[in-house]
Amino acid sequence: MGNKRLFLLLIGLILFIAIMGFSLGERRNLTWPERFVNDTVAYVQQWFYRPAGYFAGLFEDVRTMGQIYDENERLRTALAAYARDKNAYDRMKLENERLMERLDFTEAQKTKNDYEYIFAHVISASPDPYNRTIKLDVGSKQGITENMVVTTVDGLVGYISRVYPLSSTVTPITELNGQAPDVKSIPATVDGKESESYGFIETYNRETGQLLMTRIAENDPLEEGDIVITSELATVFPHGIVIGEVVSRQVGDFGLTHTAYIEPAAQLDKLTDVFVVKVPLSQTELAEELAEQEGEASGAEAPGQ
Amino acid sequence: MKFRWVLLIMFMLFILEGTLAQWLIPLEWSGRIVPRFTFVFVLYAALYAGRHRALLLGILFGMLQDVVFYGHLIGVHAFTMGLCGYVTGLLLEHRRAPMLASLSVIGIVYLLLESLIYLIYRVFRLTADPYDWVLMQTIMPSFFVNLVFALAVYIPARRWFERIGSLRGAEEDES
Repeated sequence: MGNKRLFLLLIGLILFIAIMGFSLGERRNLTWPERFVNDTVAYVQQWFYRPAGYFAGLFEDVRTMGQIYDENERLRTALAAYARDKNAYDRMKLENERLMERLDFTEAQKTKNDYEYIFAHVISASPDPYNRTIKLDVGSKQGITENMVVTTVDGLVGYISRVYPLSSTVTPITELNGQAPDVKSIPATVDGKESESYGFIETYNRETGQLLMTRIAENDPLEEGDIVITSELATVFPHGIVIGEVVSRQVGDFGLTHTAYIEPAAQLDKLTDVFVVKVPLSQTELAEELAEQEGEASGAEAPGQ
Repeated sequence: MKFRWVLLIMFMLFILEGTLAQWLIPLEWSGRIVPRFTFVFVLYAALYAGRHRALLLGILFGMLQDVVFYGHLIGVHAFTMGLCGYVTGLLLEHRRAPMLASLSVIGIVYLLLESLIYLIYRVFRLTADPYDWVLMQTIMPSFFVNLVFALAVYIPARRWFERIGSLRGAEEDES
C-alpha cells in the first residue's frame, strides 16, 4: 500500500514537471480548454474588480481632498504650456508632412509612427508574488496580439504575453528578469538624447522597486534625472513610451559597459484602465500580407478553371 | 451541504483573491500579502472530509489559478496545493482536531506551500530573490492574513466539510 502511494506520487511529480517544462516560455497557440476557462473566468471577474475599485476610489478621493487645490494649480500651468506647444506642434507636423511628400515616402514609412491606442479595462490581478500578471478585457477579437505594449497615461506598464479570444494577459515590467528563460528585455533610450543613448531594461529589483538598465556605452550622455523612454531602434515595441526616471548610474559588472537604476513612472498596482499600443504594420509585413491575400485569391480561382 | 455548493463557494473565493483582495491590500503591502483563501479551504477539506477530496480540490483550484493567471508556468499551484492537501489528509484526517490544533496545522502547511512554490520558481530560475528575504517580506505577512481568514471561516467550513465527510463515510459503510 505504501509502495503504491509512493509510486503514484512520483508519477505525479514527473507529470507536473513535464507540464511545467512544456508550458514555460512562449506559446503561440493555446489549447481550447485554456481559452475557454480564461474567457469564462474573465467574464465573472469583471463584475468584481471594477466595482471594488470604484468603492476603494471613493475613500481615496475623500482622503486626498486636501491636495486637489494644489493639483488644480499645477494642471492650470501645464495647460497653458500645452496650448503654447500645440501651436508649434501643428506647424511642425504640417512641415513634416510636406517634406515626406517631397521625399516620396512610402505609405508604410509615413504611417510608421501612427500608433493606435486600444482602451482596455483591467479585470483582475494575479495574487502570486512571483507571477504578477494582469488580465485585460480585450482579446484577439479586438485585434490584440502578443508583444503589444501596455501603458497608462503615466508610462509603461508591460507587454501582452498571452492572448485569448476575449481577454489577454499582461506581463508587467516588475516581472522582467535578465536571468529568466522566458522574459524579454526592453530597448530604451533617453528622452531628448535619442540618437546618442541606448541600453536595455532588463531586470526589476523587488527589494528596491527599481529597474536595472544595462549595456549602456561608456560615453553615453545618460545621467541622473533623465527620463528613459522606449527606443526607436526596437522593431517589436513602439518608441517614445515613458519608462521612468534615472536614479543612479554606475560601472557594470565587467567594467566594459555601464548600468543605471530607473524608477518606474507608472504605478503598477490597483490599475483600472490601460491602453494597448498597436503598432502599424511594417513594410515587410505589409508586403507579406499582400502576398498572402493574392495567394488566397489565386488559390480560390484555380479550382474554377 | 452538497459538495457542489462547496465548489461554488471556493470558486467565489478564488474570484475574490484576484479582484476584491487586490483593492483591500494597502498600496505599501501589495505584492507582499498573498491571499490564499482557496488553499485554506483545501486544508479544511483535508482535515474534515478526507484526503481524496483535498487532493481533488487542491489540483482543481490550483490548476484554475495556473491557467487563469498564466504567466511563466502552468502546474505550480496545482502540484503544490494538491500535494499539501493530500499529505495533510494522510496524516490528520478524521482526527476530530480541535480549533487550535487545526489552525496550527493550517499555519504550518501554509509555510510549507509557500516554500514549495518559491522552490519551484527558484529551480526554473524565474526568481532570484534570496529565501530569507522572501520569508520576511511576503511569506510571514501573508501567513498572518491567511491565518486570520482561517479563523474567521473555521465554524462554517468545519460544519460543511464534516457533513461531506460523514456522507461519504456512510456510503462506504453501506457498500
